[in-house]
Amino acid sequence: MNQILIDLALELGKLIAIAIVVLVFMLVAVLYLVLKLRWVIARIQSRLGPNRTGPWGVAQTVADALKLFQKEDIIPKGADKWLFTIAPALVFIPSYLVYVVIPFGAGLTAQSLNVGVMYISAISSISVIGIIVGGWASNNKWSLLGAFRGASQLISYEVPIILALVVPVLVNGSLDLNIIVENQAGGFWHWNLFTGFPMLQLAFLMLVIAGFAEINVTPFDIMEAESELVAGFNTEYSGMKFALFFLAEFAESFTLAAIITTLFLGGYQPPLHILGGQLTGIAFSAVSLFWFMAKCWVLVVFIMWVRSTLPRVRVDQLMNLSWKALIPTGLVNLLLTGAYVVFWMHK
Amino acid sequence: MSTILNDIKNSFVSIIKGLKVTAVNWSVLRPCVTELYPEQKPQLPEAYRGMPTLPVRPETGRSDCIACGACARMCPEQIITVEVDKTDPKDRKPAKFTIDISRCMFCGLCMEVCPKGCLKPARTFELACLSREGMIYDLEKLNKLGGELPPLPEPDDEKSSSNK
Ligand code: SF4
Ligand code: SF4
Repeated sequence: MNQILIDLALELGKLIAIAIVVLVFMLVAVLYLVLKLRWVIARIQSRLGPNRTGPWGVAQTVADALKLFQKEDIIPKGADKWLFTIAPALVFIPSYLVYVVIPFGAGLTAQSLNVGVMYISAISSISVIGIIVGGWASNNKWSLLGAFRGASQLISYEVPIILALVVPVLVNGSLDLNIIVENQAGGFWHWNLFTGFPMLQLAFLMLVIAGFAEINVTPFDIMEAESELVAGFNTEYSGMKFALFFLAEFAESFTLAAIITTLFLGGYQPPLHILGGQLTGIAFSAVSLFWFMAKCWVLVVFIMWVRSTLPRVRVDQLMNLSWKALIPTGLVNLLLTGAYVVFWMHK
Repeated sequence: MSTILNDIKNSFVSIIKGLKVTAVNWSVLRPCVTELYPEQKPQLPEAYRGMPTLPVRPETGRSDCIACGACARMCPEQIITVEVDKTDPKDRKPAKFTIDISRCMFCGLCMEVCPKGCLKPARTFELACLSREGMIYDLEKLNKLGGELPPLPEPDDEKSSSNK
């Protein structure tokens, strides 16, 4: 009996420690991403970006976060207080939970699940509820319309995302992210992106396009198109609650980069065997963590680049793209992949 | 079918083109144009016209103002107050002259209308201060900001140069 209790306590302690590590990582990553985004956009517009707070402005986002903490927390009159308060958590917690299954390096997964890909798509779709609840509880027609707009966008793009995710899963024969990454070992020509022409490339493209819409960045950021629509579901939010929405959004852009990296760009595998592939144990964990982060970083910067280049689409164009272009393509692609796997790959 | 394929091709080409433009901007080819203001003062253009001031004539030690009040009447913002100094009837000069710069829109009408051409735009642009009262410039401050007029200018030249 005692042994069980001790085991339970140890297990619980381990879980809490992992949760804290993941949370700290997420917060630091988001603070850095916001700063990086501002630098990238500034540079693209021939400006300098943050450069005052701390050396080269590195403390800028920390200062911004502190400011948000201090801001008054306003709940509108007539709003549903409880739902209004819960909504940011409903958006934030799923984007935090997704980090649990991401293989940051060899043996560096918080919890390796054998249904990892399904877990990601299931968990990340919870945030739609948070958005609807937030818009509805605000007691503001604008927010409600914004929430509907956001939900319709997120739900429409969930489908092509899953159609794209299924393709590498089929080819690798596993839903476990770790196994998918291990299958891609041994140089970049083994990465999913460079095999299985043209199904995997098409899936990659779909994942990038639909992922942009899902994480709500330009050209698909009509969820909160501030200039023409006066923001969306989060109009009434201020202070920390707004910060949680903001945090979730940026965390999601890292998550998208991590998913693309894991499924298509070899995850934590080094691009060439000599760049760390021969190592074992802790050394390989460290090297693989480096490669994973490097790939994610490149992808995140790419997202920022696209984000600061393309104009925003209209809402009907957004829906058309998903239902008339991405979903049919995805279905055809799925059929092709199935045929490829059954008739060719396992021969 | 071919139109759809064409559309897809065109949109990809235009996206790549756009990305190229921003990438060139991003690269070292384009320097930043940000001015690091307090350390790096802006290069004011030649024709920069700031707030109206009353430069001092070195011979008399005060400005040419005759307290006619034309500027006060002309000012669309009604922010100039002029009071005549009545001590010496032969020498008209202002006893009090204030401009509430906080509401000035730098239209230059006061300088335009002044019969003596004694209101001059200053080249200063750092006017911020911590109180509303601090934005009210009296005669002394206006004289100081205006500096000294060049010695012995022809009054007509004066006028025309200020109207340029
Ligand atoms: S510049 Fe225009 S607004 Fe300013 S004091 Fe002169 S007349 Fe008034
Ligand atoms: S118009 Fe010129 S002379 Fe007349 S009061 Fe104003 S500054 Fe003085």
